[in-house]
Amino acid sequence: MTSGREQFSREVTRAESNSGEGLVMPPGDALGVVERRFDRREFVIGTANSGGMRLEVTGICKRFGGLHVFNDVSFSISPGEVLGVIGPNGAGKTTLINVICGMLPPTSGRVLLDGRDMTAKPLHVVSRAGIVRSFQQTNTFRTATVRENISRAVRFSNGGEGVWQAIAPLIDEFELAAHLDEQSDKLPYGLQKMLGLVLACAVRPKVLLLDEPAAGLERRERLRIDAFVRHAVTELGCGVLIVEHDMELVRRLCPKILVLDSGRVLAEGSPADVLSRKDVIDAYLGTMDEAEA
Amino acid sequence: MEGIVATGLIGVSLGAQYALLALGFTLIFGILGVVNFAHGGFYVLGGYLAYSAVTYLGVPYALAVIAAALGTTALGYLFERFVLDRLIDDHLATLMLTLGLYLMMSSGLLVLFGPQSPAFSFPLSGVLRAHGFYVPIENLVVLVVCLVGILSIYALIYHTDFGRALRALADDRAVATAQGLRPKLLFPTAFALATGLAGLTGALVTPILSLAPHVGDPVLATSFLIVILGGLGSIGGATVAAFIVGMVEAFSAVYLGGSKGALALFVLVLIMLVVRPSGLFGHRVRGA
Repeated sequence: MTSGREQFSREVTRAESNSGEGLVMPPGDALGVVERRFDRREFVIGTANSGGMRLEVTGICKRFGGLHVFNDVSFSISPGEVLGVIGPNGAGKTTLINVICGMLPPTSGRVLLDGRDMTAKPLHVVSRAGIVRSFQQTNTFRTATVRENISRAVRFSNGGEGVWQAIAPLIDEFELAAHLDEQSDKLPYGLQKMLGLVLACAVRPKVLLLDEPAAGLERRERLRIDAFVRHAVTELGCGVLIVEHDMELVRRLCPKILVLDSGRVLAEGSPADVLSRKDVIDAYLGTMDEAEA
Repeated sequence: MEGIVATGLIGVSLGAQYALLALGFTLIFGILGVVNFAHGGFYVLGGYLAYSAVTYLGVPYALAVIAAALGTTALGYLFERFVLDRLIDDHLATLMLTLGLYLMMSSGLLVLFGPQSPAFSFPLSGVLRAHGFYVPIENLVVLVVCLVGILSIYALIYHTDFGRALRALADDRAVATAQGLRPKLLFPTAFALATGLAGLTGALVTPILSLAPHVGDPVLATSFLIVILGGLGSIGGATVAAFIVGMVEAFSAVYLGGSKGALALFVLVLIMLVVRPSGLFGHRVRGA
């Protein structure tokens, strides 16, 4: 118990010392978003009270019977921070999201949101508290229009009119405005996925967990993920966890990444450092990262 | 001409009863993803509850109907909350559980009340005559109550936050829960609502048709048939299909003879499954 606590506090101090200026903002801060962040949040009504919260995951393990999905994974995400989680298929990335968001209980370890214990709380409690996930597939309310989809998300999370104003830029950005009255499952695949992300944003997240947001999207559409993450960070002040296979996207968006391999943390650090490590390349990138050389 | 109108009225009246049953059945399927094999059981139970209240407690029939609806609602809530909910995502398990509950209900009623139909009749009798055709008053009362029931369900599902939450859970449970809805509260409530409707229908209809421990069988079959015809999980589809089935049954019973009605219905469903497998109002999934 004592050693666990020590490790926990070490994690916190280490993570805090890591969350310096360079890591807080994605590469997009060249656009001056750091400046704008504080200006904009003054008058964006719905998000004024929903700045980010700090997510801490300490020593989390998940086993299904004898199968270890992952073991002793620890990290933390501060408001405005973006963490990429990569790893080969079956490394336990989606299960990690499932455990943090409350769809599955962890075998051991803790999940804390601004110090509040969220470990093994059910999904609706965790999302009410502010840890909001997106789904790998196109998960929307399929028989409802885009507008109804969004207003359900707003209503179910006890949001008000202000939320609509807050997410309006996203609706424009993703060209969903012209489709507001269409049934969501009649939209093209890419738009359905973007709607899924808009829904996550409409719940007023403090921390976003994105499960392969770019999977199945065309190259051009993938830039929308960048815009989305930037919006979440600058407008909502969210911390963001991204599980993704698209290495270019991970490099663009994540100042810090964590590599999972067969359920353990193989490496952790900046993309440049981590992706050049030989064990990471062997485990995961191997043949596909020739562009890097 | 009078014959057609009178038969049509019987059809509408049957259709309204079926709609109440099928709405509950389709709500459970749409929201929980469970095929409720105990649906007919709740119908019979509603009948016996009303019968017992009238016969043994001397309660007026109208109050007995309300008591039966409340009793079946409560049982549905408890059954979902404490039994079904543990295995809600296991289709085979929920099938066995609901089927098991039905067998327990019908054999329990058999033990308690015996196989023969008890003397249970509608308190109002008489016939309304107008322009050459006539309608039994009891059918008219049942029709009105059922129509009010159907309209209430529609108002509840489409014009309240509760209904909006239920529709959202039916569309995508994971997304709805990730937005803060509580399935642990909403699932038993939805199940209870549906079983209460079945109990209400049973309490209303069994004094006119018949009451015996086994009368749940055809109710389950008809609910199933209507929901397949209308499209699994579709509320509008279940309503329309219920009236179609009511009409087909009424007209074929009068003009073709009783047994040919069932034949006509199953042929209709067979054609539907070949021509439009998703049913009248069924949802077509967009190919990826």
